[in-house]
Amino acid sequence: MSVSVPCLGYGLGLRSVYYQQIIEQSPQVDWFEIVSENYLVQGGKALYYLDAIAERYPLVMHGVSLSIGGPHALDMDYLKQLKQLADRVKPAWVSDHLCWSRGNAHQLHDLLPLPYTEESLYHVAARVRQVQEVLQRPLVLENVSSYVRSKADDFTEWEFLNALSHLSGCELLLDINNVYVSSRNHGFDAWTFIRNLPPQRIRQLHLAGHMDYGDYVVDTHDHPVCDPVWQLFQQTLEHLGPVATLLERDDHFPPFAELLDELAKARELGAGALARRSLCA
Amino acid sequence: MRLIDWQLAFERHLLADADEGGFASTLIGGPTLDVDTGLAIYHNAYRARLLEVMQGDFPTVWHWLGDDEFAGLVAAYVQRYPSAHFSLRWLGQRFEGFIGEYLVAAQSAPLAELARLEWAFTLAFDAPAGQPLALEDMARLAPEAWPLLQVEWGPSVQQVLCRFNSLQIWRAVKAQAAFPGSLALQQAEVCLIWRDQQVCRYRSLEPTEAYALAGMADQGWTFSELCAELAVTYQEGAPLQAVTWLKQWVEDGLLQRRAP
Repeated sequence: MSVSVPCLGYGLGLRSVYYQQIIEQSPQVDWFEIVSENYLVQGGKALYYLDAIAERYPLVMHGVSLSIGGPHALDMDYLKQLKQLADRVKPAWVSDHLCWSRGNAHQLHDLLPLPYTEESLYHVAARVRQVQEVLQRPLVLENVSSYVRSKADDFTEWEFLNALSHLSGCELLLDINNVYVSSRNHGFDAWTFIRNLPPQRIRQLHLAGHMDYGDYVVDTHDHPVCDPVWQLFQQTLEHLGPVATLLERDDHFPPFAELLDELAKARELGAGALARRSLCA
Repeated sequence: MRLIDWQLAFERHLLADADEGGFASTLIGGPTLDVDTGLAIYHNAYRARLLEVMQGDFPTVWHWLGDDEFAGLVAAYVQRYPSAHFSLRWLGQRFEGFIGEYLVAAQSAPLAELARLEWAFTLAFDAPAGQPLALEDMARLAPEAWPLLQVEWGPSVQQVLCRFNSLQIWRAVKAQAAFPGSLALQQAEVCLIWRDQQVCRYRSLEPTEAYALAGMADQGWTFSELCAELAVTYQEGAPLQAVTWLKQWVEDGLLQRRAP
C-alpha cells in the first residue's frame, strides 16, 4: 500500500555544529528537521541560521517538550510559540513524541513512556485534537524508545499508535531505531511492530544509532545506524513505498562529510528497497 | 492505578534518590532488562542531562569546582529548583541565587558573581537583535538633532558589576590557560556583555566611562547633558570626550535610539 503524503526524500537533523558548512557547501540534503525548542528564542545565531537555511531547504519541525501524554494541562504558551515558529519557517509538518516529559510541576526533560491503556488513549487523543486545533494542522507523533513497561497495558505499542491515529487524526513518525531499541529491551519482534502500523498514517521515518550494552540497548543517537536498523529500514520501505526519511545525530557529531556519507547510504539502500518493491508489484 | 497517579509516582522516582512507594512493582522489564535497571536508565539520564546543560552554561564555575563538586552543587540546585521551563535553556536561571543561598558567604560571593557573568553570556547570546545604532545613522544625524540625541541599551546588553576578578578567571578558562585564582578587585568594575551581529562580546569599563554610559543609556541623558556632566571632569575637553565615547559605544553595537 502506498502512502498518500508527499515524500520529502532524505533529510538530516539540523544541528548547530553544521550550520556554517550547510551554508557554505549547500550539501545534497533534501530537507532538514529542526528541534523546535532550539528556535523558541528571541534572537541570535540559531534564528539567523534558521532563516538562512529555510531559504534553501524544506524544513520540518520536531519538538521534544509538548508532553502530549502528561498529567498537566497543555502549555498554551509553548503551543503559541510553536505556532509562531511554524508561521516563520513554514515547515512541511510538525512532530513531537508519544510520551510525557513534564510531571506535576516540574519539567523532566525526557521522553517518558506511557502505559498503553484505554485511559491513556483517550487522554492523549483529546490532547492531540487540542494541539491540532491550535496548530491548524495534523500533529505527527513519534514512537519513543523505552526501558520499562507498565503492567497495566491494555494494548501493544503498535496497537496504541493505530488506535490513537484513528481516534485523533494524528500522523506517525516511525523511528525505526526506537522500534529496534524497544524490541530488544522488551522482547518483541520489531517487524511485527512496523508491519502492524497503518501505512497511510506514516508521514516520516527516523534513522539513528544507539548504545548496545548486550543485555539491553540505550537510545543515544550518538552512533552510526547499525545493521539490524538498516535491514528494518529497507524492509519498511519495501512495505510502505517512499517515505520521507531522516538521519538523526544528537551527540558525538562526526565530520559533516561522514554524516553525508551515512545519508547517501540511506538513499542507496532506500532506492534498492523501492526497486525491489516495484519488481514485486 | 490511575494514569495521573502512575505518572506522579514516576516523577517522584526520577526526582528522588531511591524507589519510593513501590513504583517498580507497577512495571515490567524485558527478557534481559530488569525493571530496576530500566528505571536506573531513566533516573541516570535525567541527572546526566541536567548536569550536561549546566556544564555547558557554566563552564568556568565547573572548571573552578571540578567535576565532583560541580555535580554535587548541580544536584542540590535541581533538587531545590527543579526545572520549570519547557526549554533546558532556562535551567540555570536561578543558579547564581542558589549559590548565594547554599554556600557560605566567603565562598559564595566570587562563585555567584562568576555564575552571573556566565549566565549573562547566555542572555546576550539569544536576546532579540533590536535596532542597534550604526555610525552611518550618526553621520546622517542633522547638526541640530545632536544636542537632544537620546539612546538606550540594545536588548542584548547585560551589565555585571564585578567585585572579583571573575572576568580574568573566565578568560583564563576559555583560553585553557592556568587558573588565576580568585581575587577581590581593588575597585568594582562594570563588565558589559552583548551580542554584536551573531558574536558575543564583552568589555570592562573604567568608572568614568561606566558613569557616562549609564547616564545616557539608563537615565536618558541627552547628548548635551552628557557633555555637561563630563565638563565637571574634562572641562573644555568634554565634548571631544563625549563624542569619542559615543562613537566607541555605537561601533561596539551597544546602543539604540531612545524612543521620543
